Amino acid sequence: MVPTIFYAACAIAAAGLALLLMQSGSKFRMGATILGLAGIAWILVIVVQTIPTPASEIGPLGLMILCAFVSVASAVRVITHHRPVFCALYFVLVVVSGAAIYVLLSAEFVAFSLVIVYAGAILITYLFVLMLAQQSPADIGAADAVDYDRIAREPAGAVIAGFVLIAVLGGSVFSVSEQKAESILDQNRAIRQGWGDLSMMPKLLLEQARRTDSTVTAVIARKDGQMIAVQTDHSAIISVQRADQMTPSDLTLAPSLLPDNTSRVGMALVTRFPVSLELAGIILLMAMFGAVVLARKQTDIADDDRRELAGLGKVMDGSQSIQGKAIR
Amino acid sequence: MNQELSSGFTIAANAPIAVALAISALLFVIGLVGFLCRRNMIIMFLCTELMFQGAALAMIAFARLRMDVSGQVFVIFILTVAAAEAALALALVVLLYRKRETLSADAWSDLGES
Repeated sequence: MVPTIFYAACAIAAAGLALLLMQSGSKFRMGATILGLAGIAWILVIVVQTIPTPASEIGPLGLMILCAFVSVASAVRVITHHRPVFCALYFVLVVVSGAAIYVLLSAEFVAFSLVIVYAGAILITYLFVLMLAQQSPADIGAADAVDYDRIAREPAGAVIAGFVLIAVLGGSVFSVSEQKAESILDQNRAIRQGWGDLSMMPKLLLEQARRTDSTVTAVIARKDGQMIAVQTDHSAIISVQRADQMTPSDLTLAPSLLPDNTSRVGMALVTRFPVSLELAGIILLMAMFGAVVLARKQTDIADDDRRELAGLGKVMDGSQSIQGKAIR
Repeated sequence: MNQELSSGFTIAANAPIAVALAISALLFVIGLVGFLCRRNMIIMFLCTELMFQGAALAMIAFARLRMDVSGQVFVIFILTVAAAEAALALALVVLLYRKRETLSADAWSDLGES
């Protein structure tokens, strides 16, 4: 399949976005919005059509498409709105719908940390800086906004560059998906990895064993040296010591006792990426130092001495210097 | 998840993942266009956050496809870097605003060679 239709959809979405960005486009705002939405909808339809969907996935797919519309439409508003505060608030909408998509992709922990970190922390910082730096009257129309918020810089060129990128990316996906290749979406592999993660968490393993059988006192290694033997029906067999028995015996754990997303992410964080974790801490510390150094009032070291000679107060103390001037 | 798809595809083996990848590409491109078009420095940095969102969504989608949590762990690192970037970039913006009393990026176009 030659992805001509996909390219056409990209061109339509691009035209809509360019019209929305252009200053003269305010006359055709409605038309441009419809054009852009139609283009995005067409892109999504093409993407969905390419892949056969089993009936069990229709529900998640519908939710996903809903979130897709909210997220992309508010992303467009972020770059087209003429008031920066509203841009920031629309970005919150992007983040929240993004978090919903994460939940649909079964990444719950990251979804909630996204909401907390982005919508809670980063966006508040943005709003603070906006309010520090921008003093504009309460309600202004698009025509009265500051020049640099009103007039986009070369919208046509930027939109063409962006959507050529997306056309190339999408086209490459289409050409790959034509080749017959084995599906790598493998449930068994995931189950095995989940049990493997659990075998590295002895306390959680003991807890899960107790949840199955309350007489368990300890989980011990099996005869083959493994902690857990995964069965074909996705359950697992472990070897346990029970309170009323001298010799170890087997216990079957149901698949519902697999570790949840949060514990698996935490496990991966400390076992597979410990150095990256430390580096992330260092990055945050350095960013904090950097922000403090940057935001402080910048003065020359020699400034104070020179002001002293001229009979003025120190730079850092504003009130004193004004007093000094007034006396002399 | 679905054995009937064994005739399937290397990339985007099921539809929700494909839609998520499409959204991630669209978010990235919209962020890119915004970065090129907008002239308010704060909004330009907000657009870089949009691009971060696109990249993170792609990682989550591939983590789902591979049924592996490494992608999710990577998104946590992306969050870290985004937070650090926001702190530094906004401190810079405040500094620049104090110097020229405007948020327009054009006020600094004389930084280029002239």
